[in-house]
Amino acid sequence: MAGHMLDIVLKNLKKKFDNGFVAVHNINLEIAEKEFLVLVGPSGCGKSTTLRMIAGLEKITEGEIYIKNRLVNHLMPKDRNIAMVFQNYALYPHMKVYDNIAFGLKMRKIPKPEIDKLVHEASEILGIEDLLHRRPRQLSGGERQRVALGRAIVRKPDVFLFDEPLSNLDAKLRVQMREEIKKLHERLQTTIVYVTHDQVEAMTMGTRIVVMKNGVVQQVGKPLELYEKPLNLFVAGFLGSPAMNFLNARVVEERGAFFVKDDHFSLTIPRALKNRYSELKEKEVIFGIRPEHIFDKTLTDPFPNGESLKAKIEIVEPMGSVVVLVARCGTSKIIASVDSKTKARPHVEMDFLLDMSQMHLFDKEFEEAY
Amino acid sequence: MDRFLTEKVKKAFLVIATVALFVFILFPPAVLFLTSIKTELDALSFPPKWFFQPTLKNYAAILKTSPLIGYAVNSLIVASLNTIACVVIGSMAAYSLARYKFKGSENIAFWMLSIRMMPPVAAIIPIYILMKNVGLLDTPWCLVITYLTFNLPFVVWMMKGFFEEIPRELEESAFIDGCSPLNAFIRIALPLVAPGLAATAILVFIFSWNEFLFALILTGTKAVTLPVGIIGFMKETGINWGYMTAGGILALVPVILFTMLVQKHLVKGLTLGALK
Ligand SMILES: Nc1ncnc2c1ncn2[C@@H]1O[C@H](COP(=O)(O)OP(=O)(O)OP(=O)(O)O)[C@@H](O)[C@H]1O
Ligand SMILES: [Mg+2]
Repeated sequence: MAGHMLDIVLKNLKKKFDNGFVAVHNINLEIAEKEFLVLVGPSGCGKSTTLRMIAGLEKITEGEIYIKNRLVNHLMPKDRNIAMVFQNYALYPHMKVYDNIAFGLKMRKIPKPEIDKLVHEASEILGIEDLLHRRPRQLSGGERQRVALGRAIVRKPDVFLFDEPLSNLDAKLRVQMREEIKKLHERLQTTIVYVTHDQVEAMTMGTRIVVMKNGVVQQVGKPLELYEKPLNLFVAGFLGSPAMNFLNARVVEERGAFFVKDDHFSLTIPRALKNRYSELKEKEVIFGIRPEHIFDKTLTDPFPNGESLKAKIEIVEPMGSVVVLVARCGTSKIIASVDSKTKARPHVEMDFLLDMSQMHLFDKEFEEAY
Repeated sequence: MDRFLTEKVKKAFLVIATVALFVFILFPPAVLFLTSIKTELDALSFPPKWFFQPTLKNYAAILKTSPLIGYAVNSLIVASLNTIACVVIGSMAAYSLARYKFKGSENIAFWMLSIRMMPPVAAIIPIYILMKNVGLLDTPWCLVITYLTFNLPFVVWMMKGFFEEIPRELEESAFIDGCSPLNAFIRIALPLVAPGLAATAILVFIFSWNEFLFALILTGTKAVTLPVGIIGFMKETGINWGYMTAGGILALVPVILFTMLVQKHLVKGLTLGALK
């Protein structure tokens, strides 16, 4: 494998549990050196199982895993040169912080002075030098998190595996640790595979994202790529908050122009997208548009491809920088995040402007993007 | 005001109940002790005498004239060897039953427990014949082995519970840190259940120390243990209550000392998990 180095390769990876449940179907994935790869998906989609197979904690039913060009299927976790951070940190309760961090080095028979140096180095990076003589139960959640990170980085492994490491922290600390892990990645330049069910974490941290559902990879790509060009309804709805709006509609052609149409709205498809969707004439589709691409018409100057839509406001949720409006257009619910200066009030009908250059169309049956 | 009153009544009731329970439990050992420091005449008087001239004559006599020290040594050998074997074998078996689920592992665990449901008497004749055939009768070994039958299932079940309380990620984390499964067991799992292991070991030790039935049948002269030895004061010519009770008290002392020494662990161990 010349050229850029691949750190982890998953080939047709499959996991079937003893009870017959298939948690992971045929995953193929190539993770490059120094990548920050995020596995994201709803609870139970097989993220942890995939990660645990890479770690060697879960037997592989079918397929192959390579780490640094080495087939590791039959290697014990200890021989894979990886480090893992668990959701509940898994610090050894009977050892002081120092020994928790040093444990992996001791097991690898590294000389004591060297261990001492490495432990202090790692704890300095994470700012936990004052905690070295405490026991895990004398630490706060955030501090435990740092110790768990320290235990991982001290060994200088080939790969870091993270399984929802921030989900036990409060919102503020989570944002802070998110930044720190990103910085750590930049500093250490080590490949990270990071599991989360939080799409914000995925979007902000990953250099690449893998979206999974029911044990099947839905899409792999850079965060913005996935956000802007989701391959199917699931990815479109999973990434982004509030989630993308989906409306049942029909594509119609009238006087040379294409429209997305329903009993309650008729929106012109931009000329630039005409060719892409020309096949869909008279077809029932799902029309998708993100809340941030819907504007309050009274506050927005007309713009190219801006299309009007009338909807009745149901809920107004001020979020500070934006106001989230929940509205109803016929039978469809529409969520818009509009300028905070909006005068929208509940139970009042108002005009929205949709940026149709950001529209998505999905197959109604197979839910794939056109 | 009212609430304080009911609190007080509750507390008083609790104290009374506790005291009553203690009196009930401690009455037999108290009588045992009092009898052991009475002269033969006082011991046999009826109704029992509560005020008398205490004497250490019984203790002096049995320590001087009977091989009680030898019996105690036998008991110590049997109980310690049995405890060590139970702890080593039992904790490993419990760990594998707790962590490595395989087809029928639950059945094995239950089968072990079912051994304890059997009345010991039922096994006594086969065991006697077995021990006789292998030439272990009247040695400490035959008791060490026989007690394993009853103590091992107990240890396995206690320890299985303790091991199952440990979050699996701790050992998984150890695997990733470079431990083999055996290493993770010794360095992570075992230290974490240490209080529970200590508590279990104490209970096993006490069982072996006090066991009477098998010791009576399987030993004759050389490997006699304390409980059997004490019965020796029951002669055809009559029961020497003074000697018997003094022997009983002497047999109790090591157990009490041992338990007091490790009481902290005992409480911690038996409530392991609940405390966490
Ligand atoms: N030992 C097991 N035996 C049978 N099924 C299992 C086992 N472990 C996990 N599963 C199932 O496999 C599926 C995937 O589990 P996994 O832990 O990988 O999910 P996840 O994506 O990490 O979810 P979460 O976000 O909740 O952690 C789940 O439906 C789970 O019930
Ligand atoms: Mg998980």
